[in-house]
Formats: sequence, C-alpha cells, structure tokens
Amino acid sequence: MLEVDAINAYYGDSHILHGVSLSVRPGEVVCLLGRNGAGKTTTILTIMGYLQPRPGRIRYKGRDIAGLPPYALARLGFGFVPQERGIFPSLTVRENLTVFARTGRGGAGSWTLPRIFELFPALQARQRNLGFQLSGGEQQMLSIARALMLNPSLLLLDEPSEGLAPIIVQQIIEVLLRLKREGLAIVLVEQNLSAAFAVGDRHHVMNKGEICFSGSTAQLERDDFVLREYLSV
Amino acid sequence: MELFVAQLLNGLVYGVLLFLMAAGLSLIFGLMNVVSLAHGSFFMLGAYLGLAIFKATGSFWLAFVLAPIPVAGIGIVMELLFLRPLYRRGHMDQVLLTFGFTFVFLDLVQTIWGRAVLHLWAPAGLHGIVHIGLGVFSAYRLFLIGFGFAIALVLWLLLERSRIGAMVRAGVDNAIMAAGLGANIPALFSGIFGFGVALAALGGIAAAPILGLYPGMDSEILIPAFIVIVIGGMGSLRGAFVGSLLIGIVDTFGKAYFQGVALFLIYLAMLAVLLVRPQGLFGIKYSDASVAPAVTTTSRPASLQTRTSELGVLVALLILPFLMGDYPRALVSEIFIFAIFAMSLDLLLGFTGLMSLGHAAFFGLGAYAVAILGTQFELNAWLGVAAGVAIAACGAALIGFFCVRTGGIPFLMLTLAFSQLVFSVALKWRDVTGGSDGLTIAEQPSFFGFSLSRSLVMYFMTLSFFALTYWVLRRLLNAPLGHAFVGIRENEQRMMAVGYPTRAYKLLSFTIAGAIAGLAGGLYAIFNGFISSDAIYWTASGDILIMTMLGGAGTLVGPAIGTALFLLMKNVVSSYSEHWLSIIGAIFICCVMFFSGGLWGAAQKLQWRRVAK
Repeated sequence: MLEVDAINAYYGDSHILHGVSLSVRPGEVVCLLGRNGAGKTTTILTIMGYLQPRPGRIRYKGRDIAGLPPYALARLGFGFVPQERGIFPSLTVRENLTVFARTGRGGAGSWTLPRIFELFPALQARQRNLGFQLSGGEQQMLSIARALMLNPSLLLLDEPSEGLAPIIVQQIIEVLLRLKREGLAIVLVEQNLSAAFAVGDRHHVMNKGEICFSGSTAQLERDDFVLREYLSV
Repeated sequence: MELFVAQLLNGLVYGVLLFLMAAGLSLIFGLMNVVSLAHGSFFMLGAYLGLAIFKATGSFWLAFVLAPIPVAGIGIVMELLFLRPLYRRGHMDQVLLTFGFTFVFLDLVQTIWGRAVLHLWAPAGLHGIVHIGLGVFSAYRLFLIGFGFAIALVLWLLLERSRIGAMVRAGVDNAIMAAGLGANIPALFSGIFGFGVALAALGGIAAAPILGLYPGMDSEILIPAFIVIVIGGMGSLRGAFVGSLLIGIVDTFGKAYFQGVALFLIYLAMLAVLLVRPQGLFGIKYSDASVAPAVTTTSRPASLQTRTSELGVLVALLILPFLMGDYPRALVSEIFIFAIFAMSLDLLLGFTGLMSLGHAAFFGLGAYAVAILGTQFELNAWLGVAAGVAIAACGAALIGFFCVRTGGIPFLMLTLAFSQLVFSVALKWRDVTGGSDGLTIAEQPSFFGFSLSRSLVMYFMTLSFFALTYWVLRRLLNAPLGHAFVGIRENEQRMMAVGYPTRAYKLLSFTIAGAIAGLAGGLYAIFNGFISSDAIYWTASGDILIMTMLGGAGTLVGPAIGTALFLLMKNVVSSYSEHWLSIIGAIFICCVMFFSGGLWGAAQKLQWRRVAK
C-alpha cells in the first residue's frame, strides 16, 4: 500500500537520506529502528511530505505521492503522530480531537469521539482541559487519538514511547496492538526495542541515512551483529 | 455630565474604528507572523472605494457592504504574489515589502481622487441626532458603536466557537502540525489575510463620515492601531478589543480635557502597560529566540584590496565636485548626510539585528538641537551639532532602555511608537519647534573659515563627516565590540550563554546609532537651513530603512549606495513623473523580492561565487 523507493533527502545542503526503500502492506506494522541521527525521523518527515525526496519515488495505493504537501497526504489517509506530539496548547482536548477530524467510510471501524474515549478513557475526563495542561502520557494519547480522528488508512508514529513511564508505554503498546488487530497499517519509528518487537511485523534498521537491515521480528532477534552494531547503546 | 458622556461615546467610536484595524493586524500577526504596514492603506482604500460605490449607486449601505470585497481581493493578491515567496525569509523583508506597497497605494489614491479632503455623508436614516436620557447624540456614531461591538462578538464566536476558528487557533499554535493533519495552511493564510484586510476596509468606510477622506489617513490610523496591539498583546483578539477601547477613550478624553498633552497620553498609556507587562495585557510572553534576523551577510575584515578600493573611492569623491555644477553638488552633499544616517541605522539593523522603525527620532533630536539652540540661545551651529549628538545619545539611551527589552517585531513597534512621541512633541510644542511650519536656522556657520553657502565647501564638509563616520564605524565593527554586536545578531541566547550581557550591548548599539543619527540630523539642519516636524514623521524612519536595506544591511558600503540610489531616483524620477512614489515603491518591492540582502549584498555574493570558482 505504501512503497518508498530509493529516496534521498537533504536539510539545506547536507545529504541526510541515501536511497532509503521500504514498503508497507495493508494491516502490517513496519518499524524503523536505529540510533539518534540515523535518519528515522527524516524518513518519516519525507514520507509525510515535509521534505521533498530528491530524487526518489513514493507511491501510495498505486499513486505517485512524492511532492504532495502534508495536508494533501493527511486528506489521502495518512495519520501523523510526530515526535514532539504537536498538541495545540490553546485548544481544548476535545477541540484538538475534532478540529481536523474527517469522517470515515462509515461502519463499525470508523473512529468517532465516543469510540476514541472508549479507547482512551483518560482523555474523556480531560476533554475540557487545554492542551498545555496535559501530562506527557496524556499528550501522547491525545496525539494518537487526534490522528485516528482523521480515520486514516496508514498511521505514522515517531517514537511514541519517548520520555514516558514504562506503565504508559505499556498502555500505548496495547493501543497499537488493538489498532493492528483492527487492520490499520502502521509505520512505527522506535528506539524502544521491546515495544518494536511487541507490535512490529517487519523491521528496518537505519544507520547514517541508510537501511542496513530488513527482516521479520524473529530474524532481527537472532541477528546479534545488527543488534550490537546498530541498536545497542 | 452630558459632555462627559458625549466624550465617552466619541471615545468608544474611535475605539471601535481602531478595533476594526487592530483585529485584522493582530490575527494576521498571530497566524502568519507578518506585520503589515500596508494595513492602513487598506483602511484608506476601503474608504475611497466606498465613496466611489456611493457615487455610482447613491446608496451608503451598498458602499458599506461592497467596498471591503474588492479591497480584500487586492489584499489576497498581494499575499499570494508578494508575501508568499517571502515566508521563508525573516520578518524584515515582509515588513519592508508592505512598506513599499504603502507608497504605491498612496500614489494610487492621490492620482484617482486627488489630495483634497473629501466627504462621505452618513446615510439619511442615521443623519440626525438621538435623544437618550443623558443628552443628544449623533445617530451614526451610536450605530457605529453598536456595529463595532457586534463585529467583536461575531469575531469572538467565530474564533472560539466555530470549527474554522479552531483551525485558525491550531494554525497559530503550530502551523506545521496543523498541516500534517490536513490544514491547507497556504489557503488559510490567504483567507485570514483577506479577512483582516476586509475588516480594515470596513473600518475605513465606517470612519469616512466621521474622519473624512484624505491621503495620509492611512498612517493616521495605522500608528494608533499598532499601539493598540502593543498594549493588548500581539495576536490576541481580546487584547485588540480592550486595547482599542482603552486607546480610543484615553485619546478622546485627552483631546477634550488636556489639549496640550493629548498626543502623548496614548504613548504614556502604552509605556505604563509595557513597564508592567512587556508582552501586553493579553499577550503571550514573547520569546526573542523566535525572531530570526534576515540579514546574513557577514562582514569580513578589510583586506588590502578593499583598503585600496576605499582609497580609490575617496579620491574619486574628492575629484567629483570639480566636474559638476551647484545642483548636483548639493544633491551629493545631501546623499552624504543621509548616508551617515543610514550607516547609523545599519549598525543597529545589519550588525546588531534590531529593526528600528523610529530612527528618525534621533535625526530629529540632532537637527532640532542645532535649530533651537541657534534661534533661542544664538549658539554656534557647530556647538549645536555637538549638543545634538549628545542629546540624541541621551535620548537613544533612554528610549533604548525600554526597547532593548524586546526584539524582533515588538522592538519595531516600540521604536515606532517612541519616534511618534518625539514627532508629536515637535509638532505640538510650537513655541519652541515651530510645529509643522518648522524653524529656520538663524546663521549658517563657516567651515574652517570657508562659507558653507558655497556648494563646494558644503560638499567637502559633508564628505569629511561621511568619511569620518565610515572610518569610525569600520574601526568599531572590526573591534571586539563590533564582533559582539554581530554575535547578538546571529544568536543572542548563545552570546548570553558565553557571558555577554546582551541587553547592555544592545543598548550600547542603540545609543551609538542614535548619536550618529543625531550627527546626521545636525548636519542636515545646517545643510537645509530649515527643519520641520515632517522630517521626523514615521515615514522618514521608513525611508531610511528602505535606503539601508536597498543597498544591503550588514555592510557599511550598502547603506551608502542605497542612500545614493534612493535620493537620485527620488530627484530624477520626481522631476519627470508625478508618480515617483509608485515608481520608487515598485522598484523597492522588486528589490525586496529579488535581491535579498540588498544590491551590495547581491553583488558581494556574486563576487564570492566567482572567487570560489
């Protein structure tokens, strides 16, 4: 459903991504792993249209989407959860959820406020609070919930576990597992390996702007070299 | 009592008009980080187009409803074609671009409708007066107050209660995130810009029956609207509302009860608010860090080559006057004086990264020192110049004390407001300054025994001060102090972190710049033999900003070149065409669009590229 084909990306004159390729099939969770500065966030920003691949091709449901602006991709069905969470501080929790919400194709699988509050009960209690009054974990939940309210077919998450308490990370893993069961395709950038192993189907390990390993959870778990060279701290 | 209520209502009327201006300015700033100096022009265009529609249809209400639409269209076109390519650059280019447009719009209005004051009468239904318990009041004014409050309520509902309002607020909070969730940010920007412009135009047509229509009404509403935003807090609708009513009432009561000092009251109100809450009443604390200066040209230590070329230019300038007549000599003398002025601004703008829109105040202090000390105390003009430099330095230290607490756009607005304060003193203190009639310099001094009435002597006098200023500034900029200024421009927080008290350095830069501007002002008084309040109106600050940026801020040569070009164009074009305002405006707009860093900056880039090859 998403095919990223040999993309290169630059910040100004510095060449960050060197021919990164990956694909996501419907209902699949694909993880991007690697150390700080490996190019994971840059990859996700390029997929989301914030950076232009030059050169490189990105196809989504058979359509060439490289060069489309972020808002057009959001409307095509991308749900984006950025690293800094991007909560709108002066909007209430409820407004954060509804302001850019898009209706789904109907049916039971479509995300609405009641279903969101069922998935994240903590947000229901806080719905009149302003965005800046939330804790880090609540902000992360809100950011995921807000992306779901767009009724996306592909969810892009950039380090959702970063800086959160283990119990909150566990809750987020459970949410992601449930989304996976419902058939949502997910690209997950992570540094937390256990979280990635818990939800991921396939993994790409990045180093210096290139993908240096691709494989299933079982393959990665067995590959001591990759774990030691590119992932252990 | 009746008078009191009448004044209160008048204050509310003025407040409502200010709100229509300030609401749009504030929304545009909050969402797009753009300060539009052309906002007053849209107010003016709204009034004049309203008059045209009224003349064509005979219906005031049709004019009232229709006039904002074409003006909003003009605003949207301006945003799409001119502002949009500049979003990636700093604030300075955007401010300057909109300033260029004020020239064009002013010329447009003068060409189509003339310079005389025109009138648009209130509609028949609201012509009369209304008796309410406390007295008789103009029906149209009462209508305006109600209308203004209704608009404020509708705006508040739109922004706080509607989904589109939530989208705008989300865009204000974090436009990049909003884009990732499906917000078409460019379209939102255009829409809000057009909406803000329409509100300003609506203000213009609403004000027309009360204030009349005249070229210049644009500046007269723009400055108080800026003060409203500074007081209310940038980007806050509530702040715009409260600030508008406050300024409207303070100004009206001031004019009624304290005629002598009325003009100062709104500035005093602004100062009082800023001392207590620098971010304005409802503003969010402004972080200096988010203001990226647009100037990136780096000064390089003078190489042997530039030393030689500097000497070459000096020799050429020494020979030049012998090849020309009296008129060109005078013109070049004027260029030298304004080049000193522009270089002083560049110390602040190009090297310290502080954009002042009130630098003419210090020019004025220097010029008035010569004129006033000469006429009142028969002081020698050279002593007057020295006193002027000292007074300008003191004034700059005092004003700078308040201004350097901020940076970026708030700094721009504060310097603008302070310079208007100085302007109003010059305008109103007629006994001493002569107001708009000005002062004539009693006696022209001599220069080393030669009479300055000879154009050649004037030329060499101004040239020597120009060369001296250039030399002093270059020494200063190559000294550690100059490097500290540039460090503040590049990254103030880091300079703070490595132990520089940056606020003190900014104040020093402001003071030196003010003193040199005072020197330019004093020389101008001697050169011109006359000084009036016109010379320090805010547009004079804008002109010098244009000269500096035109040539290239961040270089010492650039401002001198920009000054020469600007004054030559003004003199040459104005002798051929009445539309010199438009032509200079258009040239300037092109320069902002295509030569980021000014002409000299562009030339340097070209040269470096060649050297690199």
